[in-house]
Amino acid sequence: MNYFLHNTLTHVWAFLMAVTVAAWGFSQHSDGVNPALTIGVLVIAFIKAQLVIWHFMEVKRSPAWLKKTCWAWLIVTALLILIFYAYFL
Amino acid sequence: MTSSADAVMTKPPTTPPGSQLAGEGSMWFFIIGDLIIFSVYFVFYTWHRGINQELFLESQLQLNQGIGFINTLILLTSSLFIALGAQSVHEGEYRRALALMRTAFFIGALFPVLKMVEWLPKINAGITPGENLFYLYYYIMTGLHLCHVLLGLVIQAFVLRHLASEKTPDAEFVDSGAVYWHMVDLLWIVVFAMFYLMR
Amino acid sequence: MSEPTAAIEPIASVQPKKIRWLKNKKLDQYLVFWVVPVFFQVFGLVFVPLTWMMPPMSPDKPLADIVTFMQTSPLELALSLYILVSGLGAVVTVGAYWLVLARMAVSPAIKYAFLAGQVIGSVVGALLPVSLFGLAGFRSGYDPETLAMFYDFAYLAYNGSLGCFCLPWLALSLAIILDKNRILPKWLGYYTAWQYVTELFAASVWLTTAQPFGWNGYLAFYFNMLLYVPWQIIIFFQIYKALKNQPEDELDNVRLERSLPSYQAVPAYS
Repeated sequence: MNYFLHNTLTHVWAFLMAVTVAAWGFSQHSDGVNPALTIGVLVIAFIKAQLVIWHFMEVKRSPAWLKKTCWAWLIVTALLILIFYAYFL
Repeated sequence: MTSSADAVMTKPPTTPPGSQLAGEGSMWFFIIGDLIIFSVYFVFYTWHRGINQELFLESQLQLNQGIGFINTLILLTSSLFIALGAQSVHEGEYRRALALMRTAFFIGALFPVLKMVEWLPKINAGITPGENLFYLYYYIMTGLHLCHVLLGLVIQAFVLRHLASEKTPDAEFVDSGAVYWHMVDLLWIVVFAMFYLMR
Repeated sequence: MSEPTAAIEPIASVQPKKIRWLKNKKLDQYLVFWVVPVFFQVFGLVFVPLTWMMPPMSPDKPLADIVTFMQTSPLELALSLYILVSGLGAVVTVGAYWLVLARMAVSPAIKYAFLAGQVIGSVVGALLPVSLFGLAGFRSGYDPETLAMFYDFAYLAYNGSLGCFCLPWLALSLAIILDKNRILPKWLGYYTAWQYVTELFAASVWLTTAQPFGWNGYLAFYFNMLLYVPWQIIIFFQIYKALKNQPEDELDNVRLERSLPSYQAVPAYS
């Protein structure tokens, strides 16, 4: 049991579960256009994505080129989505 | 304090810093390409969502939010067990690795089942991909993601067989399967936010 | 008397060169291989500057435009040309893949799945649209509605038949990844898996005529092309490399010579 409790992977997972519940909870109270919620939900999603990349996919221990590539993917994707969302508001 | 910590960080005992790639290089080629392909679709989705905001919002609210949510928790939990399993393989704890990977497989296998619970009532109600542009995106992207999940389960089945039959399993092979499964998880996190949560 | 000797010498030096080229043990393989680029040149020539079928027309073209498009004379010219080459080309391009597939250490079921899928794919994806355009081009007297149906059918068969190619690309991808002989690099197997995925994407052309999922859609067509064209070029070079690197004693014709004593009397590189 200690193996699970004192493991970074488990801590990361607990955080991911918690923010998933939070993001889902917030969005259940909204059925109209809601920029604050949307930006919050998207930012949470990309933070979750980065945590999965960093800890689960072990990119934190990989060569620099892979770290850079993953960051570039995350930032470019998140920015394009947020920009296009904001553009049509 | 920080300087001594840095000194430890710069001189790791066995492996050179930042040279460990989890899994095979070719698997990473596939993962990065897959992420980019999905990104192109995400960006196009956002664009068309902006143009047809009313339609997309209305259709989004018809989705089964609960199943989307539970499926996210399922993939996250399954991913945790895979990650723990891969870690156990590196620590030489092969029996524990096998148990963890088995658990991950059975949790992951719930995803397609719930996807059918989500899809079939929709299709029976006449809401097919031809319904509107939102549903076309919805079925294509969740369908493509489902293909990835199914492939992931097949890979995991091979990993389980490998772990059960080999005395000293190939850690690189286990890692390749694991990073693929995490990518499936990661893509669903974004799909979930974009199709179910954003308003 | 110096003239004849001068004339004989160049012949003598040219002769072995000519024979060496002809006696290359991989000559048959290279011939099969070079059919692929030639085929794609003709394929491109026919579908782009002759018929203007590619880049794809709009699925929502007005009826009058469809009629003129379906009955132009360059179309007829191109069709007659294409009908001549397509049967041969579609089948022989498979040959180039087969040269490497045959050497892979994977289940024959995968290899035959590739072959079967390619053959079905080329019938539906290449011969069917061409026959429909041929019908419109060579047979006059069809009313506009029928021509519009041909137009729809031909484009759907060409762009939406891509489903037929799901099987071969999946088989090829699996063969490259699982192959224990490592004939082609493993990452290329993963790249091939995306060809399978793009074929799935193309299914949307049946459901809508609008952007981005119609048959001229940014996602259903242009994005797929962006993934496909580099792949076709890369796998072409990789197959060439694999042919070049194959040890000669692995070749079937070398084995054949070894088993027949009469052939052994004439060594290839003398």
